[in-house]
This record gives sequence, C-alpha cells and structure tokens, in this order.
Amino acid sequence: MIDWKLILEVIGILLYATFMGFIFMGIERKAMARIQRRVGPPLYQPIIDTLKLLGKKESISHGFIYDFGPVFALGASIAALLFIPIANFQLFSSNADLIVVAYLLEVPMLGIMLGAMSSGNPFSAVGVQRGLLTMVAMQLPYGLALIALIQHWGTFKLSEIVALQGAQGWSVTVPALLIAMIVFDIVFQAMLGLEPFDIITAPAEISMGPMVEYGGKHAAILFTQHAVQIFAETAFFAVLFLGGASNLLELLIKQIAVLFIAIFVASIYPRFTIDQAAKFFWKWPTILGIIAVLLTV
Amino acid sequence: MNEILIILFTPLLAGVLAWAFDFRGVREVIGLIGAAVPLAYLVKLYPAVIEKPVDYALTVGGFTLQFQLGTMSWYFAAVASLVGLAMAFGLVATSRSGYDWLFALMSFTGVLGVFLSQDFIGFFLLWELMTFASFMMVLKRNRHESLKYFVLSVIGAYAMLLAIGILYARTGALDFETIRQALIIDVSLGTIGKGETILLFTLFLTAFGVKAGAVPLHVWAPGAYSETDQSYTAFFSGALSKAGVYGILLIYMLMGYKLYAELGTFHGHLTFAYVIAWIGAITVVVASFLAVLQEDIRKLFAYSSVGQVGYILLAFGVGSPLGFAGGLFHVLSHAIFKGLFWLVTAAIILQTGRTRFRDMGGLAEKMPFTFAMGLIAVLSLAGIPPMAGFASKWLIYEAAIQAHMPLVAGAIFLGSGLAFAYVVRFLYGVWFGQRPSELEDVKEAPLPLLLAMTILAIPNLVFGVAPGVVTGYINRILMGDVVGGDYYRLVTQTGTYNALLVSTALVIGLAIAGLVYLYGAKARRVPVTDTYQSGNPVTEEFNLSIRRNFYRPLAEALEFWLRYSWDRFYERLAKLSEDFADALRQAFYNGNVQSYSWYLAIVLLILALWGVL
Repeated sequence: MIDWKLILEVIGILLYATFMGFIFMGIERKAMARIQRRVGPPLYQPIIDTLKLLGKKESISHGFIYDFGPVFALGASIAALLFIPIANFQLFSSNADLIVVAYLLEVPMLGIMLGAMSSGNPFSAVGVQRGLLTMVAMQLPYGLALIALIQHWGTFKLSEIVALQGAQGWSVTVPALLIAMIVFDIVFQAMLGLEPFDIITAPAEISMGPMVEYGGKHAAILFTQHAVQIFAETAFFAVLFLGGASNLLELLIKQIAVLFIAIFVASIYPRFTIDQAAKFFWKWPTILGIIAVLLTV
Repeated sequence: MNEILIILFTPLLAGVLAWAFDFRGVREVIGLIGAAVPLAYLVKLYPAVIEKPVDYALTVGGFTLQFQLGTMSWYFAAVASLVGLAMAFGLVATSRSGYDWLFALMSFTGVLGVFLSQDFIGFFLLWELMTFASFMMVLKRNRHESLKYFVLSVIGAYAMLLAIGILYARTGALDFETIRQALIIDVSLGTIGKGETILLFTLFLTAFGVKAGAVPLHVWAPGAYSETDQSYTAFFSGALSKAGVYGILLIYMLMGYKLYAELGTFHGHLTFAYVIAWIGAITVVVASFLAVLQEDIRKLFAYSSVGQVGYILLAFGVGSPLGFAGGLFHVLSHAIFKGLFWLVTAAIILQTGRTRFRDMGGLAEKMPFTFAMGLIAVLSLAGIPPMAGFASKWLIYEAAIQAHMPLVAGAIFLGSGLAFAYVVRFLYGVWFGQRPSELEDVKEAPLPLLLAMTILAIPNLVFGVAPGVVTGYINRILMGDVVGGDYYRLVTQTGTYNALLVSTALVIGLAIAGLVYLYGAKARRVPVTDTYQSGNPVTEEFNLSIRRNFYRPLAEALEFWLRYSWDRFYERLAKLSEDFADALRQAFYNGNVQSYSWYLAIVLLILALWGVL
C-alpha cells in the first residue's frame, strides 16, 4: 500500500525546505551587508544565482567521482532532512534517532570532499584538509552536547525529545542543557561554515577551497545542497534545544533566530587558523561540554 | 570423523601440504581448499549449533582437549573463516612461496582453536600456535618488528600462563565450565582474596590486551601489521586481533561474578568493566590520532585497526547486554571492512610497489574496481549509513550513552571524526590528484585479489541494509531479546534505526540530485592538470597534489602530546637493559685471566662459607 499522504508531505517539505534554505542564504548575505553598511543583494539573489548556473551551456568535469561528489552530497542532505521532524510533519523521523540524524548531517561533507579531491586542484586539497580538521576539532564538543541532551531526556528519538520539551519546557530552560546549547551553538558556527570557522572555504585565501573547481550545474547542485543543509541544520537546532515547533511559521521564527545569532557572531569575529580552531574547540567548548554531561549523568 | 576436528585442522594440514608441494598452481589449490573447508563446515553445522552446542573431545598424550561449537564460538569462528577465505584468495595473487601459505594457514588453525577450546590447555596451546605462526610471517620481512611483536607476545603468554597456574592451584581445574562454577562458589567461600582476584584480572587483561592491541600494549601492531604480506594482514588484523577480544569475553564468562563481588561498582558501573571501557576509549583516541598523522599507507591502517578494536573493548566495557551486542556486531564489521582495506592495500602495493602516500596518486582511473572496493570500505569504516560499520557503531553509541558513560561516549565521537579524517587522507593520497609519471602503466589488480575483495565487500553492504540478520543471531548468543526489530530495523529501549528506510531516503535523495544533474548541460571532460590556479601558469612537471604532511596543522596543534610516545619509551627501556647487560659484560668478562681467577676464588670462598665444600 502506498502512503500518498506521506509522499505528498515529503515532496512539499522538500520544495519548502529548498526555497527557505535559499532565502536563509539570502538573509545571511543581506544581514551581513547591512552590518557592514552596504545595501546588499535582494533576498532571492541565491535563487537567481543558482538558476543562472543551471542555465550554463557547458560545464567541465574531472571524471566520474567529480560528478558523483555533488550529487551524493545533495542526496545525503535530502536524506538527512527527511529524518528530522519538521514542525507538525513527522516524515520518517519516527524511524531514526539522534545519532542517525547527526551522522546523516555529516555525510554531505564526505560527498563534497570526494568531488573536491578528485578535481586535482591544490586549493581544493587544502580545503579538504581544513574541512576534515575542523570536523575532527568540533566532533568532541559536538558529541558532548548531544550526549548531555540524550542523558537529560533519556531518549534518542527526536520526536520524543520534542514531545518531552512540549510537556516539561524547552531544553534551554534546564541549566545543564543551557550549557550544552552554548557548546552546540559554537559548533553550529563551524557546521554552517561561518566566521570564525570559515576555514574551509576561506574566501580571499584559498579561493573557496573545495568548491573552487566547480562551475555550471555542479555549482548549482552544491548551492542547492547548501540551502537544504542550512534548513536541515537550523531545524535540527530548533528541535533539539528550542522545543521544536507545532507549525511551519513557529519553526521558521526559531530557525531565523538561530540563524541571526550565527550571522551576528560571524560578522564580529575574524577567521581562526586551523590549529587555533582545534586548540579552541578542545579547550572551552570541551570543558563546558564535560560540565554539561556530568551535570546530566 | 567429527566435523570440529575437520574445521580445526584442515587449514593446518593444507598449509603443510602447500609447503611440501611448493609448486605454482598446486600450493594455491591446496591452500584455497584448506581455507574454504572451515567456512563450509561451519555453514553446514549452523542448524545444529543453534539447537544445542556441538561437543568434541580429543585425547592427546594423556590430556583431554575439549572443544565446543556453541553460538558464540560459531560466530567468532565464522567471522574468522570468512576473512580467512578472503585471505587465501588474496595470497594466491600476492604470495609466491609455500612458507607464506604454511604459516598463514597455521595461524588460521590457531585462531579457530582459540575460539573453540573449552579448556585452558587447548586454549593456551593453540593461542601460542597462532602467535608463533603470525610471528614467522613477520620475521620473514622484518626482524626488528618481529622481535618487538615476539617480546610483547611472550609477556602476554607468561601473564596468561601465570594466571592459568593460579586458577589451577585454586580450583584444581583447567576446563572453563568447572572454573566458572568454582569461582562463583568461591564468592561465598572467599579462598581467593581481593588482591589475588585483581592480580588474576590484570594478568588476563595483559595477555588479551597485547593481542587486541590495547594502549599501551599496542606498539607491536603498527610494525607487525605492515611488515608482512598484506593479504595475510587482512587476516592478522581482521581475525587474530579478535582472539584478544574473545579473551576479554572469556574474562566476563569465567570471572565476571567474582570480579563484581570483589571489586564492586563505581558510580553504578562494574568497576572492572569500567577499567576495560576506559582502556578501550583511550585506545580509540590515541590510535586514531596517530593514524591520522601517518605517511605510510600500511601504518595508517595498522593504527586504524588498533583504534577500531578499541571500539570493541569499549563496547564490552560498557557491560550492558546492549554493549555486548554492539561489540559483537563490531567484531564482524571490523573484520569485513578492515579485511577489505588490507586487501585493497595489498592490491595497491602489488601493482605499484609503493607504500608511501608521497609516491602515489591518481590511481582511481587505473584501478577502478579496487577503487570501488576501497570506497565501500571507507564508507563502512567512517560509519556512513547504511553500511555495516554504521549499524555496529550505532549500537555502541546507544550502549555507551544509555549506560551513562558520557566521557567514554565522547571518545567515540572524537574517534569517528578522526576516522573520517584518515580515510579521506587515504582516498586523496592514493586515488586522486595528479598521477606521478612513473605510475602511468599501472594495471588493475589480478583476478584472485578482486575476488577476495568482493567476498568481503558484499557483507559490508548486505549487513548494512539488513543489520537485523546479525543482531538476530547476537540475540541468540546473549540469550535474550537485546536488540529488537526485524531484518531491516534495529530497536533498542531508547532508540531506533531503520537501515532500509535510510537507504530508501538516500536513494530518493540521489535520484532527485541525479535528475538535476542529468537535466543540466553537458559536461566537458578535462584532465586534472587543467585547473584554476589564481592566474599562475601551471606546467606538467610540477605535481600540485599535497603529498606529504597532509594533516600538518593537526600535528602542530598536538605538538605537546606528540613528544611522548609509548613506542619510544619501550625502545628506550630495551636500550637501557641492553646497555646494562653490556656494561656487566664489559666489567666482568674483560678477558683478563687474573680477574677470572679472582672470580673463581670468590665463588669458592662463598661456597666454603656456605658449608657446601
């Protein structure tokens, strides 16, 4: 038996998430511009960019893996999104838990890295190296924040975490989880690839790192992937710490709130070098994370 | 003739025959048959084993050796036999000598014997057979590394022998069942004190820790795993390290209750298990960090292997049924993905003759099948759903967090990040980037090696999409419904993972992305040398791939910690004792007749004073 309602929901959420993801990217650029007293592009600029890239007559390829990388990344981002409860739409979220979603959110990275590596461009290689080292650095505090959350709520299931927050108040209202959220927010900055952790793309330093070789439809796919990923990650944040949402509007407000914190932080701080980032992650966020997990044992 | 006897000794027999009839073609056929028989018989015995254990007793020179094929030993033996079969196919391509076949198959028998033994006589004998055979495999290539392995194995063996001696003195028995019951009764009798229990635990932990490569006893592993035939390493790291892991389970089975009674609990965890969990966690972190910084493909996988076995120790250390389930599952997934990695490494080394990352690159176009197999192994090790590696890691996560071991669970998170980093290093260093001009005429690996890889790659995919097949069997071993769900779905008390649905979602995602890709414009193929270089002209003679020190910034961030090394510590210790012995030799055996006569006089004097003369 085919569950038509679910299929419609999936299609609807995918379209909505892609669109909102692009708007988030637009907000990011616009807000950054306003902070720097520029006018900035319109909110829908990323959509125009992507459509333009898709319309290119020809794109170059460095081989099968180079093509497969972005496709795999976008596919994995979509898969990750389907396992997060988006507002009142459960999608597949009752069949996967926090660890699965946390892993699925990391898979796109592997896709991008695969494609970037096969391009043979040294800037891409540097970008790959930086990306993985950032990931290694942030993994420990990230893990600790998630562990604190799981230990407090006593379940791995995202839908149950949302339900429990509905009954007992948002995660942030619990002191230990507030610490966990601060840790998670620092890590979040690196997950979105924003300053001070925009080491991976590092514009004006290594020419967008992994993405440097990509143009045309490949770049369009990567843009779309970034849009879906931003939507999924902000929704993940809202679900874990801000009590989820009962409708899309509530979710949107929470996502934008999370996004603005990230943008404000990003516009203040300059970029870390990679070893500084590693040392930073293994100092304060880790200490805070350990405090959080010990408080929730 | 009993099946267990056939399972146990066919590999050894085949090894001896292959060594005796050392002709091209003959030894390979004999060896392959010898390696395939155990797996075939294990499959045949499967229906019998799940009904009730199959027993067999062998009387040799007054000793009775008991063997039993229960649910757990079947699992371990089946994993070892699967890797053993793949190893045999690999050896067909990589080895040209009967010597390799003899000792490779001898260690096969040793491993199976360790898993099937029901008493300490057989266990110890076959344990030593396994160690000896693997030592001989390393000795052929590198004397220094083989000696390191030998010394640590001897320490382990003495520790085990001492522990067995103490147990025999206290219980008067050598078979597992009697010892187990005696130790349970002893909890109320109290003839074995707390100190002695701790001593026994430490001795066994040393013995099994050496084989599993637990930090700080891991120093032999990087050298020994790399300095041997790489097809054999698939078995060495995939199956032999599991003997150490099996030993840890044996500690639980024999002494678990006694250790609990004597040592009690620590913050709600079994104290002795907590020790094992932390050893595992430290092994994961230390070995993974070292793996990231390696410049040699074999060293990288050797350290990674040590780290992955650390996951298993950690899982067993959690001490809950879920922990055992996760650990047992990881025994299988580690064997298949790490075995696959070593076979891929064997293929690379066979075809290029190089081992360092700085001499390789761009091989994906030359060896596409090997690359695909390598990619499967990478996805499985990095724990990308839906692969076997993810299912087992997921269980370990659930177990560690559910048991409220947050810091231990944090080590898994860190370890998996590091695993991501080192597999990508492998991908980049070997397969991508510009190809050195000397590698232009590299060809795809020979057929037997490709078959070997396929044998191990299929389970990675099958048990990834249907992890319930494995957990269903593990439930039988643990005699309870530890992990619920069906073939495709794993359900624990607090979490759930539907592998089939994750695969479906990935396929949906890939389909959408693929459609966007296909809808887009045609792509024009350009070589890897034709890239954007910020306006710098690039000529062919410069290889622009990062060949050396790929993770230099990490080494810089870890500068402080990298100054300390267990390996260097042991080497220094060895040097010290060597110097000490040397000094003794020079002081006493100085070649002076007069001093020799003095020694004689002194000895005579002492004896006279003692009243002997």
